[in-house]
Amino acid sequence: MPELGNLALAIALILAVYSIVANIYGARRNAPDFVVSARHAIWSMCAMVTIAVVVLWVALLRSDFSLEYVATYSSTTLPTAYKITALWAGQQGSLMLWTWLLAIFTSVAAFQNRRRNPDTAPYALAVLAGVAIFFLLMLNFVTRPFDLLATIPAEGSDLNPLLQNYWMAIHPPSLYIGYVSASVPFAFGAAALITGKLDDGWIRSTRRWAIFSWFFLTLGNLFGARWAYEVLGWGGYWAWDPVENAAFMPWLVMTAYLHSVMIQERKDMLKIWNLSLIGLAFELTLFGTFITRSGVISSVHSFTQSGLGPYFLSFLAAVTLAYTALLIYRSKQLRSPAEFESYLSREAAFLFNNLILVGITFAVFWGTVFPVLSEAVRGVKITVGPPFFNRVIAPLALGLVFLTGIGPLIAWRRTTTDNLVRSFAAPVAIGVVTGIIAAAAGLRQWYVLTALSLAAFVMGTVLVEFRRGMNARRHMLAEPPAKALVNLVAKNNRRYGGYVIHVGVVVAFIGIVGSSFFRTEVKKSVHAGDSFTIGSYTLRFLGLSEVDTPHLASATARVEVLSADGREITVMSPAKLFFIRAQQPATEVAIRSTPLSDLYVVLAGIDDSGQTATFEVFLTPLVFWLWAGGLLMVLGTVIVMWPNVRERAAIATVLSRSSTAARELNDVAAPGGD
Amino acid sequence: MRSQFAFAPSLRFAFIVVALFVLVSPELKNVSRETFAKETPTNAEVSEGLTCQCGCGLTVANCNMPTCGFSVPLRAEMDGMIRKGMSRAQIIAFYRHKYGEKVLSSPTTEGFNLLAWTMPFIALVLGGGLMVLVVGRWRSNSPSAPSGSKPAVEPSSFDPELRRRLENELKERR
Repeated sequence: MPELGNLALAIALILAVYSIVANIYGARRNAPDFVVSARHAIWSMCAMVTIAVVVLWVALLRSDFSLEYVATYSSTTLPTAYKITALWAGQQGSLMLWTWLLAIFTSVAAFQNRRRNPDTAPYALAVLAGVAIFFLLMLNFVTRPFDLLATIPAEGSDLNPLLQNYWMAIHPPSLYIGYVSASVPFAFGAAALITGKLDDGWIRSTRRWAIFSWFFLTLGNLFGARWAYEVLGWGGYWAWDPVENAAFMPWLVMTAYLHSVMIQERKDMLKIWNLSLIGLAFELTLFGTFITRSGVISSVHSFTQSGLGPYFLSFLAAVTLAYTALLIYRSKQLRSPAEFESYLSREAAFLFNNLILVGITFAVFWGTVFPVLSEAVRGVKITVGPPFFNRVIAPLALGLVFLTGIGPLIAWRRTTTDNLVRSFAAPVAIGVVTGIIAAAAGLRQWYVLTALSLAAFVMGTVLVEFRRGMNARRHMLAEPPAKALVNLVAKNNRRYGGYVIHVGVVVAFIGIVGSSFFRTEVKKSVHAGDSFTIGSYTLRFLGLSEVDTPHLASATARVEVLSADGREITVMSPAKLFFIRAQQPATEVAIRSTPLSDLYVVLAGIDDSGQTATFEVFLTPLVFWLWAGGLLMVLGTVIVMWPNVRERAAIATVLSRSSTAARELNDVAAPGGD
Repeated sequence: MRSQFAFAPSLRFAFIVVALFVLVSPELKNVSRETFAKETPTNAEVSEGLTCQCGCGLTVANCNMPTCGFSVPLRAEMDGMIRKGMSRAQIIAFYRHKYGEKVLSSPTTEGFNLLAWTMPFIALVLGGGLMVLVVGRWRSNSPSAPSGSKPAVEPSSFDPELRRRLENELKERR
């Protein structure tokens, strides 16, 4: 079986190289049969990588410890679900997952473009195959997933206990899907630069890919935060760790890109900027992998460090140089007669939104690499941790939330003072009233007051927008309110889905502010039967129960939670785990989540008699809303991506000329179709 | 009549916001009072300023390894210092002297480290300046906003000095 995996990866590499040659030759020499052949090579490459992935999965499920990868990342006692997720637990497996996703997305892009974008698609597919070649070279020659051990061990080393969690089963794939799908718009942007087809065709062709990538980056970041919240046991969800930052930066840049492409679509401006943003987003995905793999910056998330850093750095440098050179080469053609009438316009709001998003990205990047810079310049190791990021990012986040409210209500081109007052009077009033109420409720921190006011302001702007649209439908079409709302969203899904995403962002922001500013913590050692309090809760330690299995030993505490009036609310069960194969302890926290606050209980220690336990308890207000906001962002993205007949018709019109040509091209090359 | 009508949903929304705050505020109020009532630092406040050296990458406050050889004894030692009346700054200075700069959870605000704090904002100001410059050029291209005509909305927040400099620069470029 391992031979089959190696063979599949080797053939995949050859096919990827062939697809580049055939795509470029076919496009340059106007030889459609080569383009079709290249497409078939891409699909075959995808099949080969799929075979390699299946071989590794089968080896993991069968506990085939002759494979070094299987022996290192699994054991016979590892639950089946985690044997499957062990595919991305180690370096070789996670690179193979990356390559597999890339092969799938390249195949889908090849299928989507078999009859359209005949000028640019071959180059875009060649770029994607180029990226695949880098990863396949790594898998074939540098970090091989099917290497065999000289002596087969009787038992594997087991999966890292921190990875034995269901969030870890879905967090890396989500993040990888987000990372890898960003390659598609990047490749089409690069193809536009190569071919000189610099209109917004590449943006329209890859809009759904960009949203798809943003969607999964959002999910990946949220799942990662939830994993940290449940597994690391410190009561928080985001520590500005380098690997977290590496996942956050492409999300920020993709967010900026999704806003700025609207200006290009509407006003044919910002061509250089949009191409730069998509290039930056892709480069940051490579940078993220470099950070995780190289070990140059220590991280709690770097489960696999290796000597891959220089390879990734070289590839990142090559991609950046080549893409920048293309941008400079086409810079004259990319300049358009841009018109800008007023700072009081939606395009101005989007520009400032981009400035802040890219500014935050730079701040995160700067804080992430500054320790390396400090060591290189001064020879002194320093740490850039959460206090730095919180102080630098916090004011920028306020600006971003403010612009989230401004953008939707302000008109394109220019807004008169009357319009401005009419649109913003109500949202501003809501924001001010909220601030006053919050101050009257005893809140004194200026940041919290400003954040709550701005959040309410944004909610107000979204509400005004929905109401305007519904009123228009009710007056013109005499629709009842519920029907008007449904039709409004259904017929303008991009716009109103976007507003739902904005609400999600603001709700998550409220959760972040509440949980960051008002968390309380108690650490107590108590005997069985004793109680202690945190906030309005009383916690009584009832006792311990121990369970041993071949895979892990666990000690679970039963903690009764009582309200202020002595009523039992629930019984929580935090546990300490000891993974036998890995010889590692781990914590299983117990969380009682409500919209007002989360009660988070960690069993921090047990004495030898088993009668005294130490608990670390956190009471974190509003953290529930972080996850609720995330769900709203997901809902909004689903609405945005929902197929829209009008949008399809518009794309069909734009692509009509090229599609006719493409059909002719395909008819010549493959009369029977693909 | 139309503009009055536009306020109605906002008022309803404001009502919901008020209701939410009535629900949430007692809890936040209690917590914020607790936070501000402290005269001496808590262990968490001090240990948030220090980075655990066990390799977890978290702050001493957040390292949750029960057997951590760094954060566990440090937190215990810190309790003693707090009881003796030492301030947060004094305790952090003590550990900086003992372990070096790497133990701090954020860069100092002196020397080369000042770059860490200032560079993001310098980049933002430079980026903003560049954006204003480019937008200024676009505005001069706009047929509906000729330089001599009064715009529909005067950008009163636009710094006159910046505007003068911008116009000079644009003149030079022409």
